[in-house]
Parts: sequence; C-alpha cells; structure tokens
Amino acid sequence: MSLFLVVLTYFAYVFIIAMYVVKAIKIARLPLHLRWELYPVIYEPKSKYGSGFQEDEKGWRKSQGKKLRKGILYLLKENLRFNDYFKSNRGYWLVLFPWHIGFILIVAFHILCFFGALVIIAGNPVTANSVYVIGKIFYYCILITGVFSFIAGAFGSIGLILKRQSDKNLKAFATPQNYFNYIFTLIVFLSGLYAWIFADPTFAQYRDFWRGLLTLSPVSVEPATAVHIILFSLFLVYLPFTRSMHYITKFFAFFWVRWDDRPNFRGSKVERNITGLLNKPVTWSAPHIKSGRTWAEITAEEKYHEKTS
Amino acid sequence: MKKHLKLTDISKDGDEQLDEINIDELVPLPPPYDKGEELPGIKQLTDDQRERLVCNLDGVVSYAALPKPANKEEEEKYVGQFIAGLKKLLSKENNWTFLQPLLLSIDYCARCQTCNDACPVYLASGEKDFYRPTYRSEIFRRIINKYIKPAGKLRAKLGGGDIELNWATISRLYELSYRCNLCRRCAQSCPMGVDNALITRELRKLFSQEFGWAPKELHEKGTVLQLEVGSPTGLRPNVAIDNLKFLDEEFTESTGIRVETPWDKEGADVLLIHSAGDIISFPESVIAFTILCNAAGVNWTLSSEVGGYDGVNYGLFYDDVQLAKVAVRHVQIARKLRVKKIVMGECGHEHKALITVADRLLTGDLIIPRESVMTFLEDIVFSGKIKFDPTKNNFPVTLHDPCNVVRNLGIVEPQRRILRYLCPQFREMTPHGVDNYCCGGGGGLSVMSDVNFTDWKVNVSGRMKFKQILEAFADRLGPEVGKYVCAPCLNCKLQLRDLFKYYGAREKSGIIYGGLAELIVNAMVEIKKPFINWEEEQ
Ligand code: SF4
Ligand code: SF4
Repeated sequence: MSLFLVVLTYFAYVFIIAMYVVKAIKIARLPLHLRWELYPVIYEPKSKYGSGFQEDEKGWRKSQGKKLRKGILYLLKENLRFNDYFKSNRGYWLVLFPWHIGFILIVAFHILCFFGALVIIAGNPVTANSVYVIGKIFYYCILITGVFSFIAGAFGSIGLILKRQSDKNLKAFATPQNYFNYIFTLIVFLSGLYAWIFADPTFAQYRDFWRGLLTLSPVSVEPATAVHIILFSLFLVYLPFTRSMHYITKFFAFFWVRWDDRPNFRGSKVERNITGLLNKPVTWSAPHIKSGRTWAEITAEEKYHEKTS
Repeated sequence: MKKHLKLTDISKDGDEQLDEINIDELVPLPPPYDKGEELPGIKQLTDDQRERLVCNLDGVVSYAALPKPANKEEEEKYVGQFIAGLKKLLSKENNWTFLQPLLLSIDYCARCQTCNDACPVYLASGEKDFYRPTYRSEIFRRIINKYIKPAGKLRAKLGGGDIELNWATISRLYELSYRCNLCRRCAQSCPMGVDNALITRELRKLFSQEFGWAPKELHEKGTVLQLEVGSPTGLRPNVAIDNLKFLDEEFTESTGIRVETPWDKEGADVLLIHSAGDIISFPESVIAFTILCNAAGVNWTLSSEVGGYDGVNYGLFYDDVQLAKVAVRHVQIARKLRVKKIVMGECGHEHKALITVADRLLTGDLIIPRESVMTFLEDIVFSGKIKFDPTKNNFPVTLHDPCNVVRNLGIVEPQRRILRYLCPQFREMTPHGVDNYCCGGGGGLSVMSDVNFTDWKVNVSGRMKFKQILEAFADRLGPEVGKYVCAPCLNCKLQLRDLFKYYGAREKSGIIYGGLAELIVNAMVEIKKPFINWEEEQ
C-alpha cells in the first residue's frame, strides 16, 4: 500500500505537469495573430483612463521594460481577489471565492509539505516544539494551509452546487461535468478534513509521507490519510481534462491577446513572422475568395491603380 | 411572460420563431420617451415574408437573401459546409489571423455569466436569453466540441447539452451573429480574457468565407463595391472630386474663407482618408477638415484612387480576406503618393482596421505610419496656429465614444482635451471612455437595413446609448435648449441619425449630433457665422 501511494503520487505529479506543459506549448506555438488588443492595456503608462500608446508613442516606448511585472502583478492580484465576480455577482463570489481559495491553499499545502520534507531530511524536525524556528514555521504553515484549504474548499464546493442550481443564469449553462467537478472536489476536500480530524490532527503522518516520498522509503499511513492521498492524486490526474488550466491560460489570453499591442516595424521579428504567415495557402470555399492561392497572392491581387470613372 | 430558452432550443422547430421582442420588456427610457406604445416598434413580418424569408430567431431579418434548404439533402449539404468551415477556422493556414485568440476563448470560458451584464443588447432587450454574449458562444463551443474534437459525439451525449447541428441551428446562428455590435464590452468584463465578440466575428467569418453569406450592405455593396468602384456608397473617383469641388465652393461662400481641398498631392505629409459616407451624408464634417488643415498649415492631401477616398473597411466586421484586401489597398495608395503618414478620418472602424488589426498584414514598404484623427486634431487645436473662441460653443455637448477608437484602440483623452477646451458645457455620459456603450450600430450594423432590421437597431441595440444621451442632458432635456452629441465616427452618426429620427429627439429634446471637427470649426474666431447648423433636418 505504501509503495502504491508513492508511485501514484509521483505519477499524478508527472502527469499533470506534462499535460499542462504540452497544452501550454501547443497554445504558445500557435501562429502570431492579427492585433486584437482591448483597452485598458494595464501596463501602459496612461492605462488609468484607458489610453494606449497610440496617444503618445514616445511615452510608450519608455515603459516597455516594466510591462511584464506590472501585468503579472495585476493578474495575480485578480486571481486572488476575484474582484470582477465580487462586483458583478456577489452571491456567486461568496462560494466561488472560497472554492478557489481552497485550491490555492491546497497547492500551497503540498508545496509546503515538499519543502517541509526537505527541511526534515536536512535534519530539522518540523514540529510545534521544534528547536529550529524553521521547523516551527513549517509546522504551523502546513497546519494552517491544510485546514483552511479543506474547510474553504468543501464550503465552496457545496455552495457552488447550490448556486449553480438556484441561479437560473448559471443553471442554463451548467453541464453535468460542472456538477461532477464540484462533487469530486467536495470529496477530496472532505477526505482531507476527515483525515485531519480523525487520523492526523497535526499532519505528522502527511509530513512523514512526504519525507518518505522524497527519500524513496515509503511510510505507512492511516487508512483515512491514505484515502485522501489517493483522492488527491486522482484529482491531479483529472485536472488537465477540466478547464482548470484557465489559471494559466488567463495569462496567455491577457498577455498574448488582450494586451498584445506590439507594433509591427520594418525589419522587426513581427514583420518576419507575418511574411511567413502570408505565404500560407487559403482554402476557404466562398466564391469571392478564389482560394488555392496564398494570403499574399490574394491581397496583392487587387489591381488598384486604374481609376474607374 | 418572459420565455426562458435552453441552449438546445436553438436546433428545435426550424421554422418557428425562437422568441419575440416585446416593446414593454425593453429597458425603459426616461420621459418623454417612456411611452413605447406611441412608437411603431418592430414591424411585424407579413405572412408572405414569413413564407419567403428565414425568420426563425426573433422576428427580425437582417439578410433577406439567406437561402432556405429545399430538401433534406440541401440541409445536409449546409451542415457539411458548416463543419468544413469550422475545421478551417481551427486551422493554422486558413485562420492564422485569429486562431490563438479563438482557441483561448473557446476552451477556457468558466460559464460564470459575468459578461452578460456588460452587454448593451442583452440589457436593452430586457435580458432576452438569446442575446446573451454567452448564448451563441456556448452553442458554437459545444458544436466544436461535438463535431470536431475526438469522441465529441459520445462526450456530447454523456455530458448533456448536446446541440444538434441542423438547418435551424445554422440559420439562427447566422442571424444571431448579427445581433451583436462587436463592441467588446463583454470581453472587457470577462475575468478569464474570453472574447465573445471575437467568437461572434469568427462565426460571421465562417458564413462569409465558407458559405458566401454576408449582409449585402457589408459584402456585395460593401467591400466588393469598394474594391471595384472605390466606395460602398457607389461614389466613383471623379464624382468624389466633383462633389468636393462643389462643396468647397459652397462653403467658401457660406463661411467667407477660401475652402480648397487638395487632391492627389504627391509627397504630402499627410494622406487624410475620410469615409465617403461623410462626403455624401455629412459634408460639413469633410469641409471642417479642409478648413482646419489649411488654417493650421498642414501639408496634406486626399486621394482619388479607387478606395483611397473611402477609409471604411467592412471586412473588419465579417471577413478576414476582404479586410486584408481593403487594408492593403489603402496603404498601397499611400505608398504610391509617397506620403509620410495616413491619418484616419472620423471613422471608428477605419481606425481599428488600419491602425491595429491590419498592422500585422503589412510588410516591407507597406508599413506606413498611421495616425488617429483624434491626436491629429489635438495637435491642430493646440498648435497655436488657429484662434478659438470657446463661447461660440456655449451649449451642452456630450461625447459619444466610438468603441473602435476607445475600447479597441486606447485613444481616450485627446478628444476630451479638445472638448474641455472648446466647449464650456461639455459633460460626460455615464459610463464613458473605455467603458462606453456602443451606439448600437457597431459591428457593421449601422449600414445594414434589410427588411425590418433598422427597427431592431433603434429599439434594441441603440437603446442603452439613447438612454445615456438623455441622461447626460437630463438637466436641460427640453427642446428649447439646443444640445450636441459629438460622435466622431461616420457609422455612429448613421446610427444616431436613425435613433434620433425614430424617437424624435430633435423635436422633443433639441438634441442634434455631429462630428468633432465641426465643433472645432464652429469655435474658430475666423468663421463668422455658426458652422453648426441647428435648424436643418439632418
Ligand atoms: S465569457 Fe468570461 S465572463 Fe462570460 S461566462 Fe465565460 S468566463 Fe464568464
Ligand atoms: S460585443 Fe457588445 S453587443 Fe456583442 S455580445 Fe459583447 S457586449 Fe454584447
């Protein structure tokens, strides 16, 4: 059993990382698209009132370097606050927010378990009365993130089921998969909560399990903890088949579409890219396209000089 | 009683109208416009029209030529075409232009419905389900998932919400794709970065590029005419020159200063591309530019090449290939004239099409600087070369923000700086700037008028804008005070023309509309008589 848990956990992590990476690469490798930005472009100097660089080219060029940091910070903040939902649908926010906080904390919990295990391996016990401050810090952080994630996540899952059912706007667009997701996450969070209350109140087993995971020396845990480990691993494997990647794709959608106002200069990389893309063939069937030629051929086709009179 | 539609209803009862628009369900307007029953509303289709036309969505027809399949085989042919079109939309060759944004919008919607509250069409309609930004997008998404993705049909069966792709679905999706202004207010409000306007435009592209279906005003009498004759207005080069010569003379007489528009001046600093619709419908706007450019000593020109005197590019609304052809034509003309830059006229979608979208269609010496009319006018106004007397504009003025200049291009302040300087009674609408409401004619709708489509535009899509305008002037809404809506965009003006006429805004509230350049000229010390004409019917 202990070995099974180790193998399953490794598999789940490798699987989810590989799937996300493949998906991200697929999106990243899509061709450069036409400009389709939407204002405010948050990292532009005058974005407060929505203005873009078209208003003031010099100012914009100066600000290029700060773009990434400003954009990332903005999106991270949005990911944590859910401000848009708070403003538009308070009732939905009330359940969606804890659900997502549940996810963020459960991820933090596992990251802390990973580093906590390293701390233990390095010879510093992670306990409430550890002689090392770092041990204490990890102990409390793991405890707090774990407990809060289970409670917030379970609350959010139940809330979302009820909200999706009772709000007619949300209900009309809900799919059975939505409900399956909520139930699945509910089970994962509840299993964690159960294990914490009845089997592992200080997460000592969980920390030990992670130490065993990293040193490849499986340790046995109580059935309740084992159940949670299994469910969480299955959940990781399932995640890539949901829209969960929107945590990441959101960054792409904002940076590569909504805020992508990179202009095209002669001799620039953008121009080189476009030259290649214009050589792609067009096979649309409508008569006015006269397909079978490339984009470049079609757009250059028009003989414009003759004045029609 | 409000009807609640399910997503799956789209494919049911092909000849039946899915829902109807009830005037008393629409968002209420303030008095004296609150008596909906006094207005004609949306013309009901006759039995003959119902027989002949496809009208299975909302009782409105935007494209009378939409064909009805004669039999099952023909219906299947359309289904096959739709699937073929979808595959092309998802291919790097046929749709490199928008593939990445499309996929990011298709795959990652959280179905949270936040975007609905941002949509002026949905809000104005009294929250009709099929006007939700998400309604057509979710159906489109489910069709892709079912018909294109591996094991899609099985997953659709298991997952519920299975959408049947049949004639009803196809024809209703076609009409639905023209119940959207492409204003992108929904996209702006989406926490995930999903763009429902983009999805709508992709749908239009599929119909145009694969089926050859597009509103005749946008295609046949739009881009096709522009590329062949010079302008969707049908205005040919020599007629455009003649018209302007005549206007030059007329305004020389009425203003007392010499008005002379330069044509085809090689090596000019600026090629100004107006919309030809302005030459025909709003000539004072075109003349205002001539007066301003000449007074400020700008070295500028217009072009009389085919397409060079009309900056519109309806391809932006429905077809990437047509978009590219028109945009390339515009820059080819500028290159031939060896001008330093192109300045857009007061036309929002011209801005969007040529400044940003087409930016990635141009290479080599076609990459020519392109500037917005807003910054161009700002430079003129604040150059110190022209004397102004703002008291000449001492009447209430509000600004309509064309979506394609503001939300879609990020040009917000220059026009405001001008108005704050020249119009003592300038006031903003709420909301404004990048949060503005579309005039209701966006996405090409302003030039579409088939069957009873105009009725829909004035009653539904333009309603939130009209409401905002009335609210901006609420302190002096009576007809005794002349009020001016500054709408620096031809398409917006066309829509405001329809709106104001329908509601009688001029008679009931003294509200007129016009461009920005006219307001600037009106404030010029040198122009003795008022340039803005308050009396004439616009
Ligand atoms: S498009 Fe955006 S705002 Fe609208 S339902 Fe989808 S995720 Fe929510
Ligand atoms: S683009 Fe504008 S009109 Fe169209 S769905 Fe979005 S908000 Fe509504």
